Amino acid sequence: MENSIIPISNFQLALTVILVLITGGISSVLKLGLLKSLIWGTIRTFVQLTLVGYALTYIFAINNLWLIIAIITLMCYIASRTAVKRTSNVPDYPTLLAFLSLLASTYLVGSIVVTLIISPDPWYSARIAIPIFGMILGNAMNGIALSLDRLYGEARSRTTEIEAMLAFGATPWEAIRDSVREAVRAGMTPTINSLMVVGLVSLPGMMTGQILGGADPSEAVRYQIVVMLMIAAAVAIGCLVLVGLSYKKLFNNDGALQPFYGVRP
Amino acid sequence: MLFEFKNITYTLGNEGPRNIRVSGTLYNGEVLIVQGPSGAGKSTLFRILSRLQSGIGGEAFLQGKSWLQIPSSIWRANVHYLAQKPALFDGSVADNLAIPFAIRIRNSKALDVNRARELMERLLLPAQLWNQDARTLSGGEASRLAFIRAVLINPMVLLLDEPTAALDEPARQSMYQVLSEWLTTTDRAALLISHTDDYRQLEHLSFLNIKPLGGHERYGK
Repeated sequence: MENSIIPISNFQLALTVILVLITGGISSVLKLGLLKSLIWGTIRTFVQLTLVGYALTYIFAINNLWLIIAIITLMCYIASRTAVKRTSNVPDYPTLLAFLSLLASTYLVGSIVVTLIISPDPWYSARIAIPIFGMILGNAMNGIALSLDRLYGEARSRTTEIEAMLAFGATPWEAIRDSVREAVRAGMTPTINSLMVVGLVSLPGMMTGQILGGADPSEAVRYQIVVMLMIAAAVAIGCLVLVGLSYKKLFNNDGALQPFYGVRP
Repeated sequence: MLFEFKNITYTLGNEGPRNIRVSGTLYNGEVLIVQGPSGAGKSTLFRILSRLQSGIGGEAFLQGKSWLQIPSSIWRANVHYLAQKPALFDGSVADNLAIPFAIRIRNSKALDVNRARELMERLLLPAQLWNQDARTLSGGEASRLAFIRAVLINPMVLLLDEPTAALDEPARQSMYQVLSEWLTTTDRAALLISHTDDYRQLEHLSFLNIKPLGGHERYGK
């Protein structure tokens, strides 16, 4: 049993051009208009990942706690901007609340996983912490984008009911809580569904990577279980915090639904 | 004096916005008919008076107390806006009638089932609707359901936005009959938007005419 990673040489890496040619061929034959994006995307993939590779090598070598915290916080910020941009229902949404909810979920769940479950030495090992936090963040980002979008979508489609609740004397929370519940559910559903099919439909990226890297599949599986459950927890926390912080923005100071979101007769 | 609003000012329309300023006074048992052409801002006035949106000026008083001194949820339960489009929630007709009683402001009260059933009968809704899915109701049934729910939460002032628009003549008469009986208890009054003059069977009427180009005019009872 070969137990080491098979390195990809520069020449072998260059052979990936074959793959790009296939993709590009399909695009130009069918006139998909994707050729420019494909070339630009390919260049970016090479450049970005090469730089990240160098950066991670450097960061792992230094392994400074404050540098790790700074990097993870920056990653949270970029993720929150991406999440907010992706939500078509949400107008002028400030990144701050998304940032706060990602910080809360990522740091809480990530710290539990890194210090309690994996417990490397030193406990803040960059080689463990950065990939783990990154995986949590990527999934939490998708989750909060979905639930934020759903919250605003629900508030629009249920305007009549929400305003009727207010007219009965409900507080904003009482009037909106069904929509909040739907929003959190929407954010968590893909993660919960992935718990059902993991390993059956496809092998998760991290597990694949470990196996290609020469790890024993049964060891890789243990890591993958930790990863799946930590992602579920992080998505749940992220959605809950964000929707809990955001629902108030749908109402004005007097507790009435903001006019922009209301569809008037 | 039960309900009064002074110089309620709001803007209509984004292009060529126009300001509207209206005032009105209601004593116990009175009905103020709000008139004006479509788009004159009648519904907007009701929404402002029930604090579902903000105007740009003016003040309203319930039993002499300014709306600035009353929390919005308490105000809205007492100056209750019944929207033109009836709000239906998931569940049966009975569930829909019980919804206002699930919120904290009415923690000690439960839905008066006998009164609810009596009102349904008065408004010509068959008793077997009670357990029916509310989403299957016709437009006329839904608007009567919403009206019954508004009466059951027992506000002081009812803001009725074209409550009879979807009703046939017998249902319309029965609704006004229930409304005029409801108004005979003290500390109750209503404002009504109606495009027809089908409200003639109501008593103690006064009128407020909102004009589309900024002016307003009141004429007496």
